[in-house]
Amino acid sequence: MAPKRRHLLALLMVLGLVTAAACSSDGGGGISGGYSIGLVTDTGKVDDKSFNQSAWEGAQDGAANIPASATASYIETEESKDYANNIQLFVDDGAKIIVTVGFGLGEATIEAAKANPDVMFIGVDQWQNEALPNLAGLMFPEANAGFMAGALAGMLTETNIVGAVLGTDLVPPVVFFKEGWENGARYTNPGVQTISTYHPGGLDVAFGDPEWGATTARQALDQGADIIFGAGGATGNGALIEVAGEAGALCVGVDSDQWFTVPEAHPCLVTSAMKLIDVGVAELISQAYAGTMQGGNYFGEVGLAPHHDFDSIVTDEMRDMLAEVMAGLADGSINPMPG
Amino acid sequence: MKPRQKQFLYAGAALLIFVAWMFYAADGPQTTAVLAGTVRAATLLALGAMCGMIGERSGVVNIGIEGQFLMSAFVAFTIASMTGSLFLGTVAGVGMGLIMGWLLAAMAVGLKVDQIIAGTVLNIAALGLTSFFYDRSRSLGIGKYTNIDLGPLADLPLIGTVFFSRPPLTYLTMALLVLVHVALFRSVWGMRTRAIGEHPGAADTVGIDVLKLRYLNVTIAGGLAGLGGSYLALEAVGTFSRAMSGGRGFLALAVMIFGRRTPFGAYAAALFFGFTTALQNQFQLNNTFDIPPQFVGMLPFVVTIIVVAISGLMGSMRDPAALGQTYEKG
Repeated sequence: MAPKRRHLLALLMVLGLVTAAACSSDGGGGISGGYSIGLVTDTGKVDDKSFNQSAWEGAQDGAANIPASATASYIETEESKDYANNIQLFVDDGAKIIVTVGFGLGEATIEAAKANPDVMFIGVDQWQNEALPNLAGLMFPEANAGFMAGALAGMLTETNIVGAVLGTDLVPPVVFFKEGWENGARYTNPGVQTISTYHPGGLDVAFGDPEWGATTARQALDQGADIIFGAGGATGNGALIEVAGEAGALCVGVDSDQWFTVPEAHPCLVTSAMKLIDVGVAELISQAYAGTMQGGNYFGEVGLAPHHDFDSIVTDEMRDMLAEVMAGLADGSINPMPG
Repeated sequence: MKPRQKQFLYAGAALLIFVAWMFYAADGPQTTAVLAGTVRAATLLALGAMCGMIGERSGVVNIGIEGQFLMSAFVAFTIASMTGSLFLGTVAGVGMGLIMGWLLAAMAVGLKVDQIIAGTVLNIAALGLTSFFYDRSRSLGIGKYTNIDLGPLADLPLIGTVFFSRPPLTYLTMALLVLVHVALFRSVWGMRTRAIGEHPGAADTVGIDVLKLRYLNVTIAGGLAGLGGSYLALEAVGTFSRAMSGGRGFLALAVMIFGRRTPFGAYAAALFFGFTTALQNQFQLNNTFDIPPQFVGMLPFVVTIIVVAISGLMGSMRDPAALGQTYEKG
């Protein structure tokens, strides 16, 4: 190759490099509006058919709703020691809004929010003791949701024994669900016996152990429980599926309408104690985008899912009672967790 | 086993049965529920322990049982869901277990990779592959295995419900316990297996192909773990979820050591582990003690450490002499 042509080639290559660099900075930078939303899960997965999935759907809805052409992406946390790293990955990537899902990420999220005042953070199930301007804790009155489900269970049980198979008591929302559930059952049925079990493991396994959930649900069925509340990710789902195999027994799902997420539970699923996480996350993302998001705690909505196949066994009297309970919870005349 | 030990064993068993009966008389449904839960939680551990045992008796450590469970559970679930047949799902699960066993053998025996590393590779690969290919919209469609009553036996009080009204894979596991016991201690295959685990050099000199037998045994053992995975997905739970084996593959190793690498010993240990789980559930269900569930959940592990430590100190527990060593034909 002649020296002249060699120079030409070098020049072309440099030109190519410059063009490529210009292109890449164009795509990744903020000028043309690459508005990105990041979501970090707890040690559960975005397809856990429950908690994390609901938050992820909310993030996608939120991204779709805001005017900027936003993209949402997620990182699944494998081990709890990676919380801070995973959040940092999104910060480094230029995410404008970061959603962290779960009680366990609370501290890491607060640290990240303090270190990155320009990024908006949404912490699902993370109670904020002091309000940071760029961090909203999305909280839910789980006790109310549990209370409503328990109130229905108290009316539906024929053996007067209601059971609950739960994730770990290390996570406050699980405890609120349980206490609300038991108190709700007692509210409509003072003679009811409530039998409840928490998973004995730590945060890393308590929500991903369907075998334990199924075995424990069976144990509760064997001693007379005829309606069981499964609350705890895949662990609770195991309980629901076990109850589905027992003729005449009913089950209650958690977090989202589990009719759609656990089809195996159709033979028993009478309702689900829902936290409208997706709605809450989407709403906070819209607020964060519009710049109206308040720091501190934001309370989302809870409710009971439809009864689907069991619509006919829920009588009008029961519905009236449920309406009364809901009104009582709303105006504060019923306390779902006395004492 | 020495006659003295045997006497202790019988006395202990008689005492246990007596205590169980007392509780049954006091509260039938609760006792039945706890013991049924015990048997149920023990099945998977027993299968895993048998898998580990056959490997270790042949001189190959298998810490990949967790991965073998998980991979087989995934395949069993997927095939059962696609074909609508629990039986085909189970067969596919066992087949996947055999493949996983063969993979371990290929690495640990064929390529002479460090056995611990080979097992770890299986665990990591299984977690990654099943998580990647898991299709969350897929469900079993058909119900999981249901209980089969064994005729009049199922009507017996307490024992009937606990042992004779079980789903099919649990019966199969009980039968396999007997089969593996006989095979290990009463057959030529068993004698050779124990020989290559204790003194592969000596076994080689009398004409046993050490590597071939290890290959075979680790592969067969994988089939047992494969049955465990099928049990997990199709009988115990009725669906698949990520990382659903939840450490039971490792627990199975503790059960195996606790049970001195014998099938019946391992089953006794598995029942003990299952019992502590069922018991701590019962404590909570009854609301009797206000102790954290994590504390009771920890007890079986503490007991394992104590038992292993005491047996070690008394010199009554020893590993197969060639355990964990690769064999080079000399």
